[in-house]
Amino acid sequence: MSGFTRRDFLMTTAGVAAAAYVGPSFAATETPKRGGTLVGTWGGFEPQSLFVPAGGGSSPYFTCTKVLERLIRLTVDLKFEPVLATEITPAADFRSYTIKLRPNVTWHDGKPLTSEDLVYNAMEYWKPISAGVTLDALESAEATDPLTVVLKFKVPVPEFFLKSVLAGKAGLVIPKHVYAGSNIITNPVNNTPIGTGPFKVKEWVRGSHVEMSRNDAYWNAGMPYVDKLVIRWWRDPASRSAAFEAGQLDIGTFNPIPMPDIARLTATKKVVAESKGYSNSAWITSVEFNQRREIFKKREVRQALMMGIDRQFIAETVFFGRARPSIGALHFSNSIFFTKDVQDYPFDIKKAAALLDAAGYPVKSGSRFKMSLVSAGWFEENVKIGQYLKQAFEDLDITVELAIPDRATSLKRIYTDYDYDVAVSNNSASIEPIPQTTQYYTTDGIVKGAAFRNATGYSNPKMDETVSKMAIETDEPKRIAMVREFDKLAAIDAPILPMVDLEPVTIVRTDVRNHSLTADFMGESWAEVWLDR
Amino acid sequence: MRRIVIRRCLQIIPLIFAVIVMNFVLIHLAPGSLFDVMTSEQQITDPKMLDQLRHTYGVDQPVWMQLVKYIWSVLHLDLGYSYRQNAPVFDVIAQQLPATLILMLAATVIALLVGVTAGVLASIKVNTIWDNLISLGAVFFFAAPSFWLGIMMTVLFAVKLGWFPVGGMRTIGVDQSAIGTVLDIMHHLVLPATALGLFYAATFARVMRASMLEVARLDFVRTARAKGLSGARVVIAHVMRNALLPIVTLLGLQLGTMLGGSVVIEAVFSWPGIGSLLFDSVMSRNFPMVLGVLVLGSLLVAVCNAAVDLVYLKLDPRIRAR
Repeated sequence: MSGFTRRDFLMTTAGVAAAAYVGPSFAATETPKRGGTLVGTWGGFEPQSLFVPAGGGSSPYFTCTKVLERLIRLTVDLKFEPVLATEITPAADFRSYTIKLRPNVTWHDGKPLTSEDLVYNAMEYWKPISAGVTLDALESAEATDPLTVVLKFKVPVPEFFLKSVLAGKAGLVIPKHVYAGSNIITNPVNNTPIGTGPFKVKEWVRGSHVEMSRNDAYWNAGMPYVDKLVIRWWRDPASRSAAFEAGQLDIGTFNPIPMPDIARLTATKKVVAESKGYSNSAWITSVEFNQRREIFKKREVRQALMMGIDRQFIAETVFFGRARPSIGALHFSNSIFFTKDVQDYPFDIKKAAALLDAAGYPVKSGSRFKMSLVSAGWFEENVKIGQYLKQAFEDLDITVELAIPDRATSLKRIYTDYDYDVAVSNNSASIEPIPQTTQYYTTDGIVKGAAFRNATGYSNPKMDETVSKMAIETDEPKRIAMVREFDKLAAIDAPILPMVDLEPVTIVRTDVRNHSLTADFMGESWAEVWLDR
Repeated sequence: MRRIVIRRCLQIIPLIFAVIVMNFVLIHLAPGSLFDVMTSEQQITDPKMLDQLRHTYGVDQPVWMQLVKYIWSVLHLDLGYSYRQNAPVFDVIAQQLPATLILMLAATVIALLVGVTAGVLASIKVNTIWDNLISLGAVFFFAAPSFWLGIMMTVLFAVKLGWFPVGGMRTIGVDQSAIGTVLDIMHHLVLPATALGLFYAATFARVMRASMLEVARLDFVRTARAKGLSGARVVIAHVMRNALLPIVTLLGLQLGTMLGGSVVIEAVFSWPGIGSLLFDSVMSRNFPMVLGVLVLGSLLVAVCNAAVDLVYLKLDPRIRAR
């Protein structure tokens, strides 16, 4: 990933190649075998519904992306590849884009995919429901022929940004003839989604598994390679380990088994641990400082607290080395925008204490001040991080009141009531920093009750200006420079910063081939995965 | 007998009413609501969209109004609609309840068979090595957390020996005949039912032993021996039958806790039962689903307890006289 140069980047964004994709070239060394049943899972629970149009978290996203497809996808070396679109070309002023659809693609019910579907998706699904503010600038979508759509925007839209949206979580293409006239969010068909993808939903046994059969009419002839895809859910990581050992599970994404088990299982040579395939949905654990509180409004206090955290310790002890200390606001795997050239906060308890003294919070009768620390209890690691932070801040003579509430309570305290001084939370970011990363720092990111955005109340006109310029800059090198400007400002101001960049792993049997080739593997169709048995 | 059945049925109505009101209040006292969870998960921030969803979910009405509406719909045998699952509450529960029932039933049978046999054995061989071994086993299975027992059994019998599947309820992706399906489910059922059942077997064994020893001292047992009945006949027909009463009482009481215990076992064995549904629904504050599970659950426990009462009559005819 480090070999990715600016030249590559320019080439990939100059336009998606028109040729039908046959899978990444380096995978073509072996002839894929057809047939077999692939049993997969992920490191979480069963989805509430197989497809949740507005998002709904990783679980429905994981299941529905085997059925529903997008226009393009991002490969593991961050190049866009055609899926349902063969070409996406910007106009000279970047205010409109022409999308050419792949011909002869049919939905699972036999109806053809046409530009009408795309217009419906752009205006009725993506803009109002899945992408929201991200596609605020989208003005209209017009079908000029059965396979061509022109998207028009109010302002210039950078190419990488638009393609990211289309290749991202919000860009799934749903059938117009099934959804038109209904409420997309509550349509019962979401439990048995109909798409263009390589797999069709056969049966969902709630509490156990979903069985998907091969779509024989798939547009990419010869694919998918497996006959059947079964996605099963285990609620207990140790049970997933046992299933791998007993040979009843082939592939598990997003940390399916307990960290200490990884070494034991990979030592058997029956499975491997793969960390590729997560860069477009890169998870971080961050610390947020509520700037509605007088103490945390002071930048020096926030910087001091950052210095008081031994993030290497968190990475090694809490995550068993499957994480690393963050630098700046972006995940290290974001090889396009990431930079090391930002303010860093190496662990230094003396310097932190001196900063707090200077900020006007000396130790008085054993304590500098009191803080409420809320660690969102949705990940087991956050429980340990919360406990560690309590001790780390107490070492700085701060009185800490720790709370580790469950999911619903955490969401409410951090993102609705803003009832915390310091919070530990998570988010997953795409390669493109707008809006998933920037909405934590911009003023318009403050929306009471909406989770995973600016909950700290941080507002800096310079930050807002940088991000709004980034949003309309169409020259890629200039834009990269702007993102780095943003990153520098975010790191210095430290309203919220990632503490550790997580490195999730996919555990996969050695006879499963062609996996982890995309930048968000668990959210891709798995058409090219095959079994060597 | 009919009077007991009618009285029991009448008792169920206020019970269910109380279950609804109490749990409704509890879930609304917990911080965060279904609406918060759903909108934050789906990243919905548009105020117009939020208002529309508030209306769809019915949370734009006062809480007491929501409660009244819910009770009204339950009176019409309608458990409501779950927007989280995008399906009617009853349909979702109906899909998962049978699995839990099968597991509970099998675990109960195992608990009774193992527990009663062990208890009887221990009482016959009282104060011998057999008695001590059974007591030791009972303490072990009572003290061992059922999830740990489940994982250990999986590691031994599924991973190392390969006798049983690692989890699930059926072999996925294979079409089988009716008999094949039943056998397949039974094969999958062995480990979870044993892991769940052994905990209760431990209690049954202890209670059965004590109860046997007590009954064995009574006059009618001496009479039975005196009239020359064989040892086995005395134990089975005279002592055991009378010693079973406390077991039946315990069984009725434990059906409710077994429903709770199955949540853990279902998680370990990915058994597609109601446990994980209930857990997720509590975590997402999905009150129509939580109430639906609890209403059906309490109904189930109430019916089982009524059945236990009827078994009493059969075992001890003296109860009928009162």
